[in-house]
Amino acid sequence: MDEKTKTVAGIAAGLQGMTYDDKRLAELAAEVEILNDAVRKAAAQRLTFDDDPAAFASVMAKEART
Amino acid sequence: MRNDDLALEDLTAIADAIAARRITSVEATEACLARIEAWQPRTNAFLRVYKEKALAQARAMDAELAAGKSRGPLHGVPMAHKDMYYRKGELSTGGSAIRRDWTAPVTATVLGKLDAAGVVELGFLNMAEFAAGPTGHNVHHGHCRNPWDQSRVTGGSSSGSGASVAARMVYGALGSDTGGSIRLPAAACGVVGMKATYGRVSRAGAVARSWSLDHVGPLTRTVRDNARMLSVIAGHDPADSTTSEKPVSDYEALLAGGVAGVRIGLALPNDGPAPLDPQIGAAIQAAADALGRLGAKVSAVTLPDFTALYRAAEVMVKCEAAAMHRPWMEKTPELYANQVRTRMEAGFFIPATQYIDALRLRAHFVTEFLSTAMEEVDAVLLPAIPFPLPTIEETDTETKGGPAVLKMVAGFTRLTRPFNTLGIPALSVPCGFDSNGAPIGMQLVGRPFDEAMLYRIGHAYQGATEHHLKVPV
Repeated sequence: MDEKTKTVAGIAAGLQGMTYDDKRLAELAAEVEILNDAVRKAAAQRLTFDDDPAAFASVMAKEART
Repeated sequence: MRNDDLALEDLTAIADAIAARRITSVEATEACLARIEAWQPRTNAFLRVYKEKALAQARAMDAELAAGKSRGPLHGVPMAHKDMYYRKGELSTGGSAIRRDWTAPVTATVLGKLDAAGVVELGFLNMAEFAAGPTGHNVHHGHCRNPWDQSRVTGGSSSGSGASVAARMVYGALGSDTGGSIRLPAAACGVVGMKATYGRVSRAGAVARSWSLDHVGPLTRTVRDNARMLSVIAGHDPADSTTSEKPVSDYEALLAGGVAGVRIGLALPNDGPAPLDPQIGAAIQAAADALGRLGAKVSAVTLPDFTALYRAAEVMVKCEAAAMHRPWMEKTPELYANQVRTRMEAGFFIPATQYIDALRLRAHFVTEFLSTAMEEVDAVLLPAIPFPLPTIEETDTETKGGPAVLKMVAGFTRLTRPFNTLGIPALSVPCGFDSNGAPIGMQLVGRPFDEAMLYRIGHAYQGATEHHLKVPV
């Protein structure tokens, strides 16, 4: 079991109260790594301290064309 | 009426004929029920048909009209909806085994609006389990089958909505769209489907797939039908705090604008995990050419790399779905289809910071998209599904695993899911048939709250083409 799979196994057992076999844990670790990396990279390129999740609704209203 | 069989008429023709008392709501309802009897065994589009209740409703609508009371432009029109819209005291399965016998405690806002408008309810429609799945497979209630070719998928998750409208069993149906679930079945079944701007239509009383990405919307036979239905269901709802207070346009009245001078950006993206099939590309190009002949200014646009946007959507869906499904996933995981349960599980392991960053990124993604791909155009034209429609067997992830099948299924949402993250309106309109005789759909994407522009373009296109008039036999 690699380090990332061990991490997922630890979260499953220790934090989420879920049990998975080793094969599934490895699949989940790989899936989470892809998603995590993509968002982390996009966030590093774009986000600043002041970015608020609610800005999405504001931008939609500001850009509205009716 | 153009057709002897009233079921073959479109929604607006039937509604206007009922309003003028040339036909009755009972006659329209009986025509749909006859059509359901013939097509339900071939499509499995319905989970429940309310024959007697629908006829009673239709009689009541006719009596109101006879007494001089009209409820508006949908008075007496029969419809059915994806089985995820709650009606107080009635079954609502969400396409699942878990809620097979569950009764809803409230009525969905959209159903309440359709009730007030005088719509007759024929029943509730098949869907992917908990709205999770782009193909129309359902191991609990049976797969939904495409009316054009029963071996092929309907698209999902609003599978029954697409199939029932295409087979002329109903005049219109509600679907929902978290990653393409209105536009995919619309494209696959040869009907029109609108995912309006996030916040344009209330989600209150609808089964959630992802609160941040879910969009409620109509599937119909024509763009005009769709515009009429959206005008009725759209608007602010105190029960859904994410709905906008912007006034709702009379979309049908705005259809006449035509496309002369309208700037359309043509995108034929041929990269990513599911390359664009040449015959799909040719159909979209032909649609662009047709719009050009109508006076639109068509130019090529390049879409940005959607990878980050797509992954951000996956983060939101998985985290939100894992949170809401957690009690059932702990206690009765065996009641889920494997492919439905496994798609949510990663949500338990994605850090909360990444989920929050995905939400924070949305404003940036929208700003970037509007200032690049949409900077010089009023709408973007692109395919809905990038490849010809596969069969149910080819895409059955429950019985057939393997990377090739999973890649094909994932490919369904390649060109639809990004617009859920962006929250901007997207309309799917039929634009041809592939070499197997299955429908092809084009997607029109617009600026926030500019549904009227997409309807104008789609309506002009349907005025010059006949793909939407073809009926499965």
